[in-house]
Amino acid sequence: MSPRRTASGGMVDRSRSIRFSFDDRFYVGHPGDTLASALLAQGVTLFGRSFKYHRPRGVIAAGVDEPNALVTVLRGDAREPNIPATMLEIHDGLTVVSQNRFPSLAFDIGAVNQLGGRLLGAGFYYKTFMGPVLGPLKGTRFWMFCEHFIRRAAGLGRAGAVADPARYERMNAFCEALVVGSGPAGLMAAKQAAAGGARVILAELDPRLGGTANWSSETIDGMPAADWAAAVLAELAAMPNVRLLPRTTVWGYYDDNTLAALERVTDHKRTGCKGEPRQRHWTIRAGRVVLATGAFERPLVFPGNDRPGLMLASAAERYAVQFGVLPGRKIAVFANNDGAYRSALALREAGASIVTIIDVRSDISPAARDLAARAKAEILAGQAVVATEGGKQVSGIKVQPFDAATGRLSGDVRAIEVDCLAVSGGWSPVINLASHAGAKAVWDDKMQAFMLPPATERWTGAGACAGEFSTGEALAGGAAAGSWAAGGASASDPVPEAGGTVLDIAPAPVFEIPAAGKAFVDLQHDVTADDVRLAHQEGFVSVEHLKRYTTLGMATDQGKTSNIPGLAIMANALGKQIPEVGTTRFRPPFAPVSVGSLAAERYGEVRPERLTPMHDWHLENGATMYSAGLWHRPMIYAKPGETVDQAYVREARTTREKAGIVDVSTLGKIAVQGPDAADFLDRVYTNMFSTLPIGKARYGLMLREDGFAMDDGTTWRLADNDFLMTTTTANAGKVMQHLEYLLDVIWPDLKVHVTSVTDQWAGAAIGGPRAREILAACVTGTSVDNDTLPFMGIVHGEIAGAPVVICRLSFSGEMAFEVYSGAGHGTHVWQALIKAGKPFGLVPYGLEALGTMRIEKGHVTGAEIDGRTTARDLHLDWMLSKKKPFVGSMMMDREAMISPDRLQLVGIVALDNLPLAGGAHIVERLDRDTPRDSIGHITAACYSPVFRKHIGLALVRAGKSRHGERAFISDPLRGHFGPVEIVSHHFYDPEGKRLHG
Amino acid sequence: MVDQLSPLEPVLRTGRHGHLADGVGVRLAETQPGSIVQLAAWPGEEKALIRTIKQVTGLALPDGAGGGACGNGKAAFGFAPGRFMVIGEDENIAGVFAGKLSQKTGTVTDLSHGRTGIRVSGARAEWVLAKLFAIDFALPAFPVGSGLSTVHHDIFAQIQRSGADQFDVYVFRSFARAFWHTLRLASEEVGYEVR
Repeated sequence: MSPRRTASGGMVDRSRSIRFSFDDRFYVGHPGDTLASALLAQGVTLFGRSFKYHRPRGVIAAGVDEPNALVTVLRGDAREPNIPATMLEIHDGLTVVSQNRFPSLAFDIGAVNQLGGRLLGAGFYYKTFMGPVLGPLKGTRFWMFCEHFIRRAAGLGRAGAVADPARYERMNAFCEALVVGSGPAGLMAAKQAAAGGARVILAELDPRLGGTANWSSETIDGMPAADWAAAVLAELAAMPNVRLLPRTTVWGYYDDNTLAALERVTDHKRTGCKGEPRQRHWTIRAGRVVLATGAFERPLVFPGNDRPGLMLASAAERYAVQFGVLPGRKIAVFANNDGAYRSALALREAGASIVTIIDVRSDISPAARDLAARAKAEILAGQAVVATEGGKQVSGIKVQPFDAATGRLSGDVRAIEVDCLAVSGGWSPVINLASHAGAKAVWDDKMQAFMLPPATERWTGAGACAGEFSTGEALAGGAAAGSWAAGGASASDPVPEAGGTVLDIAPAPVFEIPAAGKAFVDLQHDVTADDVRLAHQEGFVSVEHLKRYTTLGMATDQGKTSNIPGLAIMANALGKQIPEVGTTRFRPPFAPVSVGSLAAERYGEVRPERLTPMHDWHLENGATMYSAGLWHRPMIYAKPGETVDQAYVREARTTREKAGIVDVSTLGKIAVQGPDAADFLDRVYTNMFSTLPIGKARYGLMLREDGFAMDDGTTWRLADNDFLMTTTTANAGKVMQHLEYLLDVIWPDLKVHVTSVTDQWAGAAIGGPRAREILAACVTGTSVDNDTLPFMGIVHGEIAGAPVVICRLSFSGEMAFEVYSGAGHGTHVWQALIKAGKPFGLVPYGLEALGTMRIEKGHVTGAEIDGRTTARDLHLDWMLSKKKPFVGSMMMDREAMISPDRLQLVGIVALDNLPLAGGAHIVERLDRDTPRDSIGHITAACYSPVFRKHIGLALVRAGKSRHGERAFISDPLRGHFGPVEIVSHHFYDPEGKRLHG
Repeated sequence: MVDQLSPLEPVLRTGRHGHLADGVGVRLAETQPGSIVQLAAWPGEEKALIRTIKQVTGLALPDGAGGGACGNGKAAFGFAPGRFMVIGEDENIAGVFAGKLSQKTGTVTDLSHGRTGIRVSGARAEWVLAKLFAIDFALPAFPVGSGLSTVHHDIFAQIQRSGADQFDVYVFRSFARAFWHTLRLASEEVGYEVR
């Protein structure tokens, strides 16, 4: 048997063993154990080293409020630091290491910091490293020198450097009643709400539901509290309208009763089942919320109060009763309230000896005296612990008479030998979630704690969270809260009675024992009572400033055990009452949340892939794909041994000489339908569409309301009231939103419907001198000759039995046709075109060749329509109708918009025969050392197979007037400085002869 | 007529997958209807459009967005104010509506190629879909026949409940494979069968 494990009792399964390792040493625990309980059972008291002074630290609490015993969990190469040992369930193979120590937990070099304790007080870093450089040991330079060493010595656990291989998931849930916390109040609330017909979610951060019922010595409804809880849970589990969520921390309360929770799904298992996430992030939208989150016991502040072996009285009780682990054999209890007497009796009944109960109060209630007598414990009333002794484990305490009213110590100091000191400094209701929801805490003088304000329409409190500290009150409060959450349903059963000693746990207003020595307020951040007073001496008044100066209440525990004592000491220093000093408002998260759970299923896959109908054909035929927004598009179809440059040059050249085909399914396509569709297009586009005949297409340009160019594309008139608008791939969504906005907000009177049909159509653009012959070879049901299908004409036909719509238009500058078919027929039609084109030398081409040919032709894309250019900048002023107003027409003629000095579209030819690059600047005077005086930049560049030169498009200041001028490329990023000639952007076939055939 | 090529067919792995210790939690299948058609009414013409839907499909829709009905291989639901989806095995539903629906009532848009229908059914269907959509899928909140529009990150989706434990999800064709991948991952935990 383990040295501290009781022979019987508790909720661990002693018949089964679990083997785990802590700091490379193997230990054995049992199902039901946390790491903390399993190690305590083995006699381990040293769990870690403190943040700043590297003092030995043990376990203080038994739950989520643990500030000290933080460990790092290793899973393969992944490491997760700062996990409270109290929240970590053991499982076979669990591997854990301690933190913030070197070379070992037992012997830590950093402990030398304790010698410089005075120097390392509050504000040490500000005073030492901030401010001007006055000497060799002052200022930020010194900080930069020291930072590496300080960061190694101070801090919590070390984050891992490898990617987290775990899987995370998100879940959305809806309920009428969310009950947070499953103690007696939470269970009653859930039971009552469920009986009232509400959909109930009951969330509990511990693995075992039941809360204090799991370690209470009381009875409920005539049976042990734990049995009553088990019975209620069985009842709830069988109800279809109840969802029980163990291991689930509700960590944030947001608007509209939306709450965030983290479920630890497989952290307690060696391996999860297939598909099981490690953790699951819950977004819970609740009609009403019952906060049954209990209360945290507070420690007392006195010298040596951080020594391993000291713990909260309720934690000691819980280890003994729930886990069957005695935190000590000779235990002293130090308290300012009656609650600790119950803990003393529980520890005694579990087998420990209660050496003494030291109580700061001189007047002890009869109920507490009775408990002490049953625990066979001597009461030292009106006394206080003034020191502890021992190294890595407490071995004794020193006690001195204490006047709680004046806070003065007097008389002889008495030494008592103990191996555990259980401390209780009162209780703080866990009101964090209500605080997130906007509730302002209310100070209660009797309980010396901040309490919940009155309930709202959205939430209510129950149990200790709501100040109902006795089990009887908690059960009644839970039942009422559950009834409220179910919309006022009346109670189904009478509220069960609680049996046991009823205690008034209101504490004496004592937070600190003013003896000499290092007395810790915030154990996680090593903030002492003297640090708080130092902050006051240095002029800090606000509790918010106190927090930032001393770091009190920061880090992973967010001051769950330290906020109130720290506030009390500050109030005392200021000579004010605690509520006058105020408290910080709690913010989410209540407990640490893994970033992985927030990314959830998007981990590793930030955005979904969007695939064209012919995607698989492209892959099967050697395409190298790249992403264009969400779309995946062919870049090149390289032949064996070809480079990217060789491939796209071949594809572009073959298209110009014979024929090429490219997948244009990604172009945005919007059905614009309705009796006012033509009128709407006239308003949206700069040019006229109401005059467009059925069966014809027109190139259109649209502006933003501020007059800048927004997008371009062709729109096809399929019927009188039915248009098919195409947009650039990149702007499809933006244009759709723009149109919907105009119809919903600006012109709701227009009868027009717009629908995204991008995915309805597969598009193949086939161009080149042989393109028409290829179509003629495979299209049935229509002719494709010049009379039937003139430039911008549209015909309907079939290819290999599939219906197609063909429009004659060109992006490449060659005679070209866009063949649209139903997306489900896309590959079928594409393959038929490839087959028909084979005798004519047809090649598929990718975006590189497409870009090359459009640069040669001088067509603009998103690189030029970049949100800063006007129609005139792009030489599209011929499209600006003077016969009608349109979106942007009121603004496009502003002085700055028509200035001749604006950046205007030009062509660029490299005179040094070196490749050009998009983004490179163009300068009139070359200065390699200090590049400056940019007159513009390159928007797109390529090697032109037609001209056998490196060419590009550029936006250049007053570009129209610079044709024929020399300038220079200044591209320091890529090290290219060279001469260029500015020319017209129409490099290729400016008259359009090839286009018109 | 040439058959449509499914965007999912190349990646469908029929059979049972994932954690199957408790059996199959959900079944996943592509529905491949003959027609997926969007109908949109002009303001004030919604009831007339609902009457036309009943005339063509026999499905009586309740008034208002979200209402729907299904049966006999047909389904219809309102997914936005004045906008409806009609799905059926007949390949020319859009043509039939184009002939029946007055231009004074609204418009018809054929989306048979543009949307992919995926059926998620089984005891854990609500659980799996709740991982992906912020929608209350409980039967009282989302009864059989009703439908809605929602989104999973970048993927727009229209969902109709076609049975007590059966949902039909319509996504853009280009996103179908990405969504299928996400759906498979979400289903692994409960065990799934691809049909």
